[in-house]
Amino acid sequence: MSERAKSKSRRFKFPEEASVIFALLVLVGIVGTLRPTFLKPQNLLNLAASYSISALLAGCIVYLLSMGEIDLSFGWILNLSAVVAGLSMIAGVPVWIAIILGIVAGGLMGAINGFLTVVMRLPLIIVTLGTASVFQGISLISNKSGSVVPTDEKLTSNIFFRALGGEIDTPVPFILIFVVFAFLVLHLTLHKTRFGYRILAIGSNPEAARLAGIPTKRIKILVCALMGVVSGIGGVLFLGFRGAVDPSTGANLLLPVVAAAIIGGTPLSGGAGTVWGSLVGALIVGVIGVGVVFLGIDAVWSTLVTGLVIIFAIGVDQVVRVRKNRAG
Amino acid sequence: MTIKSRKARWSALALTTAMVLSASGVATPAQAAQKKLTIGFVVHVIGNPFINQIIDGAKAAAKDLGVTIKVTGPAGAEGDAQLTAVQNMAASGVDGIATSVPAASMVKGLNAIIKAGTPIVQFNGLGVGVNGPYVGEKSVESGRLLGKMVLDKIGGTSAKGDVIVGNCYPGFPVLENRQKGVLESLAKASGVKIVGPSDVKVDSAANFAAWQGLLAANPNALAMVGLCAPDVESIGKVNAAVPGSKTIGGGYDLTTGNLAALANGSAHISLGQTPFVQGYLPVYILVDSIRNKIKINKPGFIDAGTEIVTATSVIEPFKSAPLTFTELQKMSASLTLTRKYYDPLVKGYIKNWKKNLKPIADESA
Repeated sequence: MSERAKSKSRRFKFPEEASVIFALLVLVGIVGTLRPTFLKPQNLLNLAASYSISALLAGCIVYLLSMGEIDLSFGWILNLSAVVAGLSMIAGVPVWIAIILGIVAGGLMGAINGFLTVVMRLPLIIVTLGTASVFQGISLISNKSGSVVPTDEKLTSNIFFRALGGEIDTPVPFILIFVVFAFLVLHLTLHKTRFGYRILAIGSNPEAARLAGIPTKRIKILVCALMGVVSGIGGVLFLGFRGAVDPSTGANLLLPVVAAAIIGGTPLSGGAGTVWGSLVGALIVGVIGVGVVFLGIDAVWSTLVTGLVIIFAIGVDQVVRVRKNRAG
Repeated sequence: MTIKSRKARWSALALTTAMVLSASGVATPAQAAQKKLTIGFVVHVIGNPFINQIIDGAKAAAKDLGVTIKVTGPAGAEGDAQLTAVQNMAASGVDGIATSVPAASMVKGLNAIIKAGTPIVQFNGLGVGVNGPYVGEKSVESGRLLGKMVLDKIGGTSAKGDVIVGNCYPGFPVLENRQKGVLESLAKASGVKIVGPSDVKVDSAANFAAWQGLLAANPNALAMVGLCAPDVESIGKVNAAVPGSKTIGGGYDLTTGNLAALANGSAHISLGQTPFVQGYLPVYILVDSIRNKIKINKPGFIDAGTEIVTATSVIEPFKSAPLTFTELQKMSASLTLTRKYYDPLVKGYIKNWKKNLKPIADESA
C-alpha cells in the first residue's frame, strides 16, 4: 500500500453507528439465511413501515436521553394527539387543520411536561409518571373509552389517509419516506445547531452548562415540547396509517422506543446521543419481532428468545465498538 | 489460487445454491397439493390463563387436522403490536391466520392482508369491518345474562343497594358490550346503584388490589361484577378476606383460579366463553376453507356459546352432555379431558360451521 493510501485509511473513521449497523446485519443475515423469504424487498419495506412510528419517537427520545432525562408519557401524548386530530376531523374540521391541531396538542402536552419539571425542580421521569395517566385519562374521557374511526368517505378519500394508508402506489411506503426525512432533520438539529450542542452540554454537566450561560430551563422546556410535537406527529401519522386510534394505542410504546435508542448507542447517562443509531436500534427491535414469527418460535418461548437476542445484539455492538476503539 | 480452482469453486457454489433453492423454494404442483398447511394463530396477550385455554383448543385442532400451527402475540394487549404480529405471520408465508381483534386500528391492515390472498378468521375480539368470519360469544347477551343472574342472587328487581362493576380494559369492544348488557339487566332494579364501572386492571396483582380497594370503599355492596378473566378469582380472594361477607361475586371465564373461588363459596357465578371452541373453530374454518376452496372473505358470526357455572350447576351450550362442577374443574386443567368432552361438538357444530354462520349483527343483538 502506498503512503498516500495508508494515510487515507488512517484518516477514515467508521461512523459511530457502525457497530450497531453490523449487529443489525448479523441479525438480518441469520433470519434471512434460515428463512430466505424474509429478505424479499417488499417484506423488508413493510417491516420498516410497521416500525417507523416507534423509530421516529426513538429518534426524538435521543434528545431527552442526551440531556439525561427520560419521558414516560410520550405514548399517551401520541394517543391523545391522534384522538384530538381524529375527533376534530369527525366534527367537520378540515383534515389538514385537524392534523395541525393534533400536533399542536402534542407540543402543548410536551411543554406542560417541561414546565412542570422546571417549576417543580423534579426529574422528567417523575413528572411524566403522573402526566402519562393524566393524558391517558383525558383521552379516555374524550373518546368515551372507544375507538376513534373517521369513516366518512370525504375524510378517508383525503390524500392524507390515502398516502399514509398505502392506497397511493409508491415504491417505498410514504410513511417511511417521511420518517427518514424527519430523522435527517433530527440528526442535523442535534449535531449541527447551537440548540443541539446546548442539549448535549446540559446532559454532560448541567451545572457547568448553567454556569456557561446556557439557559438550561428554557432548553429543557423546549426539548420536552419537541418530544411532544414529535409524539403528536407520530399520533397523526398513526391515524393516517391505520385509519383509527384505539384507547390502547401507544400503551406499549415506552419499552421498544427507549430500547431502540439505547441499543442504538445513546447512553442513559446523558451528554451524547446518536439519532441514526436509534433508527438502527428500532430496526433491530423490529427484526427481532419479525424473526421470532418467521422462525416459528412458539409464543411461550418468544419473550425469552427476544430478550436473549437483544443481549446478543448489544454484545455484537459492544465487541465491534471495543475493537474499533482499540484500532483507533 | 489458480484460475481453474477459482472457477471450480464458483461452479460448486452455484450448484450448491441451485440445489438449496430447488429444495427449499420451488415446489411442483403435486408437491403443492400435498403441502402441509401452516396456520398462524395470533392472540392479544401472552401468558393469560384464559387465552392459554383458547391456544390449547387451536393446537388440538391443528393436531386433529394434521396442520402446523404457529402461535404468537404481544406481551401486553395493544392493537398495533398485534397487527404487526399478524403482518409478520402473513409475510412469513402462512396459509391462513386466526386472530383476535381487540382494536379498530387493526381493521384496515387485516383487510389488506385478506385482499392480498391470506384468509383471516377472528376470534374472541371482534373487529367491525374485517372481511372474515368471527367466532365468539354474543357479548351483549352474555352481559345481560350475568347481570340477570347477579340480580336474582341479590333479591331481584326489588333489590336495594350498591353493585360494584369493574372493567379491566376500558375501551375493549367486547368488554364494553358485556358491560352494556350487565348494566341493562341491573337497571331493572330501580333501587340498585351502580358503583363504577371502575378500571380494575388486567394484571392479576393489580386486579386484586383494585377489587380490594373497591370493597373497602363500599363495604355494604350487594355484589361485585367483573368483566374479565382475572376478576372472579380476585373477587373471591377479597370476599374471603372479609369474615362473614355476603357480597355476591360474579364474572367471566372458567380458569382454574375462578373455579376454585366458586368451589369455596367466595364467588358465586362465572360465565364461560367456551375457550376450546374459540380456539378450535377458527383453525377448523381456515383449514376447511383452504382445502376445499371455500371463500370466507365476508364478515359473519359463529356463536362459540356461553357456559353458565355456579358451584352447584354447570350449563354447557349446544345441548352438550351434562357436566358436574367437579368434572368441569378437572377439565379446566386437562386438554385431553377437554378434547374428549367436546368431541361430539367437533363432529357436529364445528364440522357444520357453514350452516352456523350468521350475520355479524347477531353478535351484539
